[in-house]
Amino acid sequence: MEVLLGITGKDFCIVAASKAAMRGASILKANDDKTRTLNKNTLMAFSGEPGDTVQFAEYIQANIQLYSMRNSSDLSPFEVSSFVRAELAKSLRSRSPYTVNLLLGGYDSIKQKPELYWIDYLASSAPVPYAAHGYAQYYCLSILDKHHHPDISFEQGMKILRMCTDELKRRLPIDFKGVNVKIIDKDGIREEPYSDDKQVYAP
Amino acid sequence: MNALVSRYSQPAYQHEGHSDNDTQKQLALDVAPSLSLNFALPPIASTASWLRAMTDDHANPNVPIKLAHGTTTLAFRFKGGIIVATDSRATAGNWIASQTVKKVIEINSCLLGTMAGGAADCQYWLAYLGMQCRLHELRHKRRISVAAASKILANLVYSYKGMGLSMGTMCAGVTPMEGPALYYVDNDGTRLAGNLFCVGSGQTFAYGVLDAEYKYDMEEDEALELGRRSILAATHRDAYSGGFVNLYHIKEEGWVRHGFNDTNPLFWKYKLEKGEFSNVTSQLV
Amino acid sequence: MASGYDRALSVFSPDGHVFQVEYALEAVKRGTCAVAVKGSEIVVLGCEKRSAMKLQDTRITPSKISMVDHHVCLAFAGLNADARILVDRARLEAQSHRLTVEDPVTVEYITKYVAGVQQRYTQSGGVRPFGISTLIVGFDPESKEARLYQTEPSGIYSAWKANAIGRSSKTVREFLERNHKPAMPRTETIDLTIKSLLEVVQTGAKNIEIAIMAPGKEVEMLPSEEIEKVVERINREKDNDAAGRRGGAATGGASAQGPEQVLTSRPAGEGAVE
Repeated sequence: MEVLLGITGKDFCIVAASKAAMRGASILKANDDKTRTLNKNTLMAFSGEPGDTVQFAEYIQANIQLYSMRNSSDLSPFEVSSFVRAELAKSLRSRSPYTVNLLLGGYDSIKQKPELYWIDYLASSAPVPYAAHGYAQYYCLSILDKHHHPDISFEQGMKILRMCTDELKRRLPIDFKGVNVKIIDKDGIREEPYSDDKQVYAP
Repeated sequence: MNALVSRYSQPAYQHEGHSDNDTQKQLALDVAPSLSLNFALPPIASTASWLRAMTDDHANPNVPIKLAHGTTTLAFRFKGGIIVATDSRATAGNWIASQTVKKVIEINSCLLGTMAGGAADCQYWLAYLGMQCRLHELRHKRRISVAAASKILANLVYSYKGMGLSMGTMCAGVTPMEGPALYYVDNDGTRLAGNLFCVGSGQTFAYGVLDAEYKYDMEEDEALELGRRSILAATHRDAYSGGFVNLYHIKEEGWVRHGFNDTNPLFWKYKLEKGEFSNVTSQLV
Repeated sequence: MASGYDRALSVFSPDGHVFQVEYALEAVKRGTCAVAVKGSEIVVLGCEKRSAMKLQDTRITPSKISMVDHHVCLAFAGLNADARILVDRARLEAQSHRLTVEDPVTVEYITKYVAGVQQRYTQSGGVRPFGISTLIVGFDPESKEARLYQTEPSGIYSAWKANAIGRSSKTVREFLERNHKPAMPRTETIDLTIKSLLEVVQTGAKNIEIAIMAPGKEVEMLPSEEIEKVVERINREKDNDAAGRRGGAATGGASAQGPEQVLTSRPAGEGAVE
């Protein structure tokens, strides 16, 4: 029950990923980071088959970094999404495909716009204003449908994220140990402190 | 003559991890495989699913091949280093194959690996890891980091994903650059860094005791005691764990072994001296 | 002249030479000069830039200094096109190393890798050695000590406090030998690099390129105005020195203008070597 959430706003993109690493009946780690920084303004969050996820993410990371090194310029989020999608599509038709779902958050410094791509293990890729993967989709998309607007401020964005995570805490049967929140904007990528001490009860 | 010359012109270090497509093929011509990583495979269409059908005693208790399974291992970081503790029982189905298995593998003086899952897989690949670590040391003139060592293992098992490897291991060590470091690596390729891990069929029982009393700021003897007691708890409740408590402490200077102690007297000590395990009675009712 | 022993690459001559490798060293000697100097917690790379032709777009013409990874920088002397291949190999290995071992490469590791690639092209059939020497500088992860290595077409690599490769490298190296001091601060290190380059670059600041690396920081390419300022200052100091000396005793007339001066006056933009 991994949670991936992404929200774009006027000049920022929020990506949140659950912190629990589960194996069988145990939570092995409660502060797992399910994101990788691809370049100065693109971040990828991943969930799916254990092993595949990190392996794929780090492979993508190395290739995007190599591109930056070779050409002394970064790929834009859209270009990154195309590359990632192509790699997934290639792997899908191989003997052992990567079973990985992704959210790609970025900030295009030329267009000066935040971008978010929803990519799944079947190599579909779609630019979206907000997105979720896994069970989070069932709970959060309705919230986002109702409350999200393309020109929301960062504070409003965080407020909507809080509504989403509260609902997940309320209704998901398994504790996902809260979320890591990363922000991508014109200044690059940063981690946003996100408190998780409030108790939420189903009414 | 050029053909002759090129045939005998391969550099000695070609296994150093360089890959060089245009010359590699030709260079690889007359090289004998170093340590055989090419296994001879049986004449079966899908070896992976066949193996699963033959060995998965969870799905079918009457499988013809019963792999040695079942374990409790634990490791945790604390201010004085890392404690590593395991039981010593190997089981094949319901059969206890051995009570004196060494489940801690000494990779080098500062690095330990633990084994859970298939005994053969763990033994073989941790020995292989030991070899790679030594080679790394020779090539880079410094000891390998725990992060790198665990990643070698994770990449390796990931390349065999879905082919029936069964292992849940921890790599623990103290290095000058990263301090005490602990990684969990399992057969689906997961690799996690953390403070505390329990692995094996008895993991839940060990977690129960360990989580309740674990603090990072423990003293050395407290930490050793907690490790020992957690393994004992697992050997008591998990049928596939038992034998002896194998206890290690890794410090900056290297690891120290703190005995290979029979669980039976240990159990009675805790029962009689501390009154624990009160569900066990020593007299007939 | 070499009686056939320079034909097949991987064949020794009877007196133990591999001629193709030695010819590659000649290509290096014809390349423009590159200098590297270590200071305390800093390392500076300096390059002689070939003067651009009138219509050349200098803004986007590739530089002789290239990044291998965020913390490793490489400058070369010799065949430009060969270097591109080698740099790309090094970049790939740097990323590959990060992927498989998690840590960034150490400067020694990537040097050994580059030298390894160069060596391989001296020992197999049907290939030609790389016609370049490289200076590889940078900082190991978590370390504040500068690293400086040189590689050669033969695959030799060596560590240095300060070194020069390419055209008139001998003059520059001798200059460095006279003037290098241990643990120099930032400005002094930059000054020494530029001074040593001025030994062979007569055209001054506009034909010099300087890259500075410090621990944990991105590489810093010194802007041309800054270089200009340093060059002016150095020239002023030189003039003052000369004036002072003339005022004192008439010292020996052996001028600093070595035989290399002739070389710098060759028409710009000719020949494939840089």
